[in-house]
Amino acid sequence: MKYIKCFISEIPWNHSWYYSAMSLVESQSEDRQSEEQVRYLQANSRELNSTFGYPNNTIKTSRYSVFNFLPLNLFEQFQRLANAYFLILLFLQLIPQISPLAWYTTVIPLMVVLSITAVKDAIDDVKRHQNDNHVNNRSVLVVMNGRIKEDKWMNIQVGDIIKLKNNQPVTADVLLLSSSEPYGLTYIETAELDGETNLKVKQSISVTSNLEDNLGLLSAFDGKVRCESPNNKLDKFTGILTFKGKNYTLDHDKLLLRGCIIRNTDWCYGLVIYTGPDTKLMQNCGKSTFKRTHMDHLLNVLVLWIFLFLGGMCFILAIGHGIWENKKGYYFQDFLPWEEYVSSSVVSAILTFWSYFIILNTMVPISLYVSVEIIRLGNSCYINWDRKMYYAPKNTPAQARTTTLNEELGQVKYVFSDKTGTLTQNIMIFNKCSINGIIYGCGYDKNGQKVEVSEETEKVDFSYNKLADPKFSFYDNTLVEAMKKGDHWVHLFFLSLSLCHTVMSEEKVEGKLVYQAQSPDEGALVTAARNFGFVFHSRTSETIMVVEMGETKVYQLLAILDFSNVRKRMSVIVRTPEDRVMLFCKGADTILCQLLHPSCRSLRDVTMEHLDDFAFEGLRTLMVAYREVDNAFYQAWSKKHSEACLSLENREDKMSDVYGEMEKDLMLLGATAIEDKLQDGVPETITILNKAKIKIWVLTGDKQETAVNIAYACNIFEEEMDGIFIVEGKNDETVRQELRLARNKMKPESLLESDPVNTYLNTKPQMPFRIPEEVPNGNYGLIINGYSLAYALEGNLELELLRTVCMCKGVICCRMTPLQKAQVVELMKRYKKVVTLAIGDGANDVSMIKAAHIGVGITGQEGMQAMLNSDYAISQFRYLQRLLLVHGRWSYNRMCKFLSYFFYKNFAFTLMHFWYAFFSGFSAQTVYDTWFITFYNLVYTSLPVLSLSLFDQDVNETWSLRFPELYGPGQHNLYFNKKEFVKCLVRGIYSSFVLFFIPMRTIHNSIDSDGKEISDYQSFSLIVQTALLCVVTVQIALDTTYWTLISHIFTWGSLGFYFCILFLLYSDGLCLMFPNVFQFLGVARNTLNLPQMWLIIILSVVLCILPVIGYRFLKPLFWPADVDKIMNRIHLWTRHPLLPPTQTKLRHTRPRRSAYAFSHKQGFGALITSGKTMKDQVFKKNSFPFKK
Amino acid sequence: MKRTSEESQSRLPDNSALKQQQLPAYRLQLTATGVLSGFFATGVFCLGVGIILILSAKSIKEIEIKYTKICGNCAKLRENATNFDKECTCSIPFYLSETMQGNVYMYYKLYGFYQNLYRYILSRSNSQLVGTDLKDVGTCAPFSKSHDGTPIAPCGAIANSIFNDTIILSYNLNSSLPIEVPMLRSGITWWTDKYVKFQNPRSKNLSIAFAGTTKPPSWAKPVYELDKEDPENNGFLNDDFIVWMRAAAFPTFKKLYRRLNRIQYFTEGLPAGLAYTVTGAVTWLASFSMMAIHLMLKDRKMFFIQQ
Repeated sequence: MKYIKCFISEIPWNHSWYYSAMSLVESQSEDRQSEEQVRYLQANSRELNSTFGYPNNTIKTSRYSVFNFLPLNLFEQFQRLANAYFLILLFLQLIPQISPLAWYTTVIPLMVVLSITAVKDAIDDVKRHQNDNHVNNRSVLVVMNGRIKEDKWMNIQVGDIIKLKNNQPVTADVLLLSSSEPYGLTYIETAELDGETNLKVKQSISVTSNLEDNLGLLSAFDGKVRCESPNNKLDKFTGILTFKGKNYTLDHDKLLLRGCIIRNTDWCYGLVIYTGPDTKLMQNCGKSTFKRTHMDHLLNVLVLWIFLFLGGMCFILAIGHGIWENKKGYYFQDFLPWEEYVSSSVVSAILTFWSYFIILNTMVPISLYVSVEIIRLGNSCYINWDRKMYYAPKNTPAQARTTTLNEELGQVKYVFSDKTGTLTQNIMIFNKCSINGIIYGCGYDKNGQKVEVSEETEKVDFSYNKLADPKFSFYDNTLVEAMKKGDHWVHLFFLSLSLCHTVMSEEKVEGKLVYQAQSPDEGALVTAARNFGFVFHSRTSETIMVVEMGETKVYQLLAILDFSNVRKRMSVIVRTPEDRVMLFCKGADTILCQLLHPSCRSLRDVTMEHLDDFAFEGLRTLMVAYREVDNAFYQAWSKKHSEACLSLENREDKMSDVYGEMEKDLMLLGATAIEDKLQDGVPETITILNKAKIKIWVLTGDKQETAVNIAYACNIFEEEMDGIFIVEGKNDETVRQELRLARNKMKPESLLESDPVNTYLNTKPQMPFRIPEEVPNGNYGLIINGYSLAYALEGNLELELLRTVCMCKGVICCRMTPLQKAQVVELMKRYKKVVTLAIGDGANDVSMIKAAHIGVGITGQEGMQAMLNSDYAISQFRYLQRLLLVHGRWSYNRMCKFLSYFFYKNFAFTLMHFWYAFFSGFSAQTVYDTWFITFYNLVYTSLPVLSLSLFDQDVNETWSLRFPELYGPGQHNLYFNKKEFVKCLVRGIYSSFVLFFIPMRTIHNSIDSDGKEISDYQSFSLIVQTALLCVVTVQIALDTTYWTLISHIFTWGSLGFYFCILFLLYSDGLCLMFPNVFQFLGVARNTLNLPQMWLIIILSVVLCILPVIGYRFLKPLFWPADVDKIMNRIHLWTRHPLLPPTQTKLRHTRPRRSAYAFSHKQGFGALITSGKTMKDQVFKKNSFPFKK
Repeated sequence: MKRTSEESQSRLPDNSALKQQQLPAYRLQLTATGVLSGFFATGVFCLGVGIILILSAKSIKEIEIKYTKICGNCAKLRENATNFDKECTCSIPFYLSETMQGNVYMYYKLYGFYQNLYRYILSRSNSQLVGTDLKDVGTCAPFSKSHDGTPIAPCGAIANSIFNDTIILSYNLNSSLPIEVPMLRSGITWWTDKYVKFQNPRSKNLSIAFAGTTKPPSWAKPVYELDKEDPENNGFLNDDFIVWMRAAAFPTFKKLYRRLNRIQYFTEGLPAGLAYTVTGAVTWLASFSMMAIHLMLKDRKMFFIQQ
């Protein structure tokens, strides 16, 4: 039932298949969940499992089948407000007592509209069927009666045992039984589920890992599983496996979820637990909400206004009718007696009300919604077709996944961006380093000038090192020379990099090492060490093998002092082959400085200077240090360490105390600078978007340091900003104070009671209310932490936060949970009447992508989840400027032009009946032929307005990008709002007035050249409708600024087509065949000959159009808007060649800031020392004699 | 997941002008010169047309004579519906100061007669009038059948309320002997109406053709006896009937009644002098008007003065 409710409340033109598909899934599974509390299943027992009625592994996202398409689709379509309205209208028309219009005037348009939508739905559904079939028909290996059989995905049942191979996607949610790796370990990539690219480890319970790949054992396995019912929690699973009379508990570490991909594991076997719609992947997709644009809301409001207006008109006319019947109609009964059911003029008036309701229904244009849909679809296609948003390296064009949001792209005010993978490529590059006070990595040419690194710059030759990674590039030869010379400090520096990490290596092909790094920073550091000649070759739980300048050495790994966010550093303790105990440490400069031995103070100062340079360039820095430890000291420490490890209380504290004892008196080696590579064109894009008054916020789960680094690198923060506030309070009060402090600096008067916003807020306005825009006294930036944000998002601080934050130019929110990202977006949506856009690439961005008005997914490294939930998918952040400033702007302008024109033409068309009522005894007589009413919106005026809204361009794309200020009107919705609507209404009233009274007065007393009068009803109809059509055609010709050949064909063709149809409809043959349906026999022939008619048309066109031209011409002269000025400049410059945009490189004054950033997680050290991750082969191949 | 063998194909969108929104086009811009010259051109054009129209309209003479009050006694007589077939005549003398040269047309004009009421305008049967199906009176309510169920021909409210005054124009040639001005009753309808839209049922004898139908309740004579002088002008093909059936758009309207037959004294038009009209019956507010025409166009004026 839920799904039906959703549909009713959703807007009519819903075409997001994802939404509907998911709601189906939801409804299906909800039904069953009510019964299913616990899930029972037995391996290899299809008979038993089938009794529970679990679904098979088919995924069904399609909505219709061949048989139910028609009824279901019609049912859905009639739930849309507009269609339902017209259906009701149709029924009203079937009542002969009140219907002044033939039934076909509504039926034909309705049929056309319904069938267009139905065809579109059908095409969408066929695509979905194809997708489903593709997925369902993939093959997978199933264990059946001791043999392996290939089967289709959709035939997999709960309880089956399947075999998965390396790099295969997981078929269903399966319980891991055994794998090719030791201890039943299996590596998976969960990019599609949660967006994280690093590998995750799953481990089977030992009793099943013993089954290995013994098919006999596997098919004899009859374990029973009792687990929870299907749910959408990705990180939760509880169950009990009963096997050979023993119970084993199961948790989510043993479950491989559908959507994951098996990595680094040759094979594994799994028991299918959840299938198809029950899988966590599918269960997670249900929350998709349907998005509507501001324009949709506005349209709904306007339609309501129109309804009221319509009701008012009908009321006036009904009263008029009552009076008329009383005064005149009563006496006219000799000629036209009242119907039997009309007992008095009041009854007649009531009936007339409904009659006029039917006649004036075209005020709510039936084709509005379908036209809007077509326009949006067309403009979406342009996005898909744009070659300038095609990313060749990944072979992906931009993709408009929703076709209902286009014009909103032209109205964006706030962009919420993820950082990793969106602004950055998530590629870390070892860029520079400072070793023993000497800086390396800044390329200098022969003259000692700094060299800008580009494609042509010569790379350092690493050919001396056979194990070097060919992809690594470095541009400073001095470092290699120092390396070759055997500089002690340089060697020690790289040795420490090659030892102090948690990277795993794999040598698939002899001499080709592949590193599995847990964080990309570490990967970059270890790869750098490898290339310079300190190759980390392999590790066991107790040793690390390093090839030092071609010489293999084995270090004994004594301890890993793991990384944590508090410690901000990690260390390893090793015993060198020379039997020295060494500690190598890397970490944040702020922390390490305090741990250094006093003797290296001078070196520290030099290094700190270098770190400043690095920070300024936006590089991420780490400090590297070492310490030689006395053997006895180590032994004593080791004891304490193992004690601390085993302690049950306060283990964390004790451990960090122990670590602290070891990590002191460090000798500084140097610092590394890693470039978190930005995506191409990010800073430029952000600058342009800023110019378009779009505010960009970075919402990231990453740490403050990394986020701030990137903010500087990509121009969100600038060094010369007037101030940057950091909000990191850990309770309400501090957060409030921090926020107020910031506001006090930005706009002191906003804290005063007298401030208009404060007085407004003090009145406790009703929800929903909007906070007006406030202007600060400079450029400010703000950084807020996730935990502070949690407080700030609570009730009474919300507004405080919003007001402060909205005054800032750039905002960084770090350490955000996915939920908080969505909350921030929601907050903005609630209190500000602005369009928000969220852009991200990972699964952690899905919530905000769904929450924002527009969600943009980057089709990047991090899986598909963001893309699948997005409204627009682009492959590079820099395409955002094109998406917004070109496509969005055009879409918005086109939509606005379309709506203004559309309402205008319908008002002009409909109001004519209103005027005529005063001359036809309010008898609901239409002005036009019924066929004209039928075809007006559908045939005569639809194509020109379509061509306008598909092809029109006020300025071309170059200018749109050159002058981002042109984007402004969209943000404030200046081109179509309630005011513009009223203007349309006034124009419509005026036009209909002109179009009615000029013909009326003309034919009133005039006759043809042969004496025949021309004041008959049918001639009048023809004259009026032709004049109307000419006026609206000229009007659209005036609105069209971009005349393509198609525009010409559509605009003038439609008018010509009207005359063709006219002769057809009024032809002798047709009228004689159906004399009562086609009554206008010969009218075209007689009336089109009249010179009066053509003079009427000329006069009406002139009178209707002149004021519009005058207004459009004079308005920019007397009341120029900013846009008009720019347009003026553009028009002036169109003839002159473009000046290249001047780029001003500003010299910065730099404040000191730490650029430490390290995207590392805790806990990998323990995993390594426990030895679980080591493969058997490693032991076999590299069995060293020195093993303890 | 969906990446399969297609991956080798490039998904680069086509480089067509349509898809890249680069269609060659003319950009319409409102420039000052364009707008102002447009305004002036329109102004001059409208001025010219206006002057021509005023001049041509001045050459048209029109006389309108209201006879509702003058023929008041007839109107009174008609107030009782049972007297509808009683004859009543009255005559109205009027003086024509100038000769009306050229073609002269005589119209009758009704004030406040709503031929455009929704139900009125529908109350006719085109299939009956075209002669194919006399019995088809479905759309004619409330005048579709007589009390005994016989279909009415012609049915409907329009036909029933036909204007049935007879207007005769006499001319005092020598201030003593009035002669009847020769009038043509043909050529007052649209060609399409007379020859396509209105057809009598096919039969040699009209009265047989209309057998099985009855006359409209307000009519004195059946439809096949409308014109005793001209047998061709009977049935649905009667010119006055056809003119009436073309419903007017507004409650005040005039309809062409007769054309001057330009013979004898009247080859030049209607000469100046005293003329009488004699009307047969009065049923409602009515008047008739005469108008001489050379070229008839409604005058219109437009002046645009643009600084």
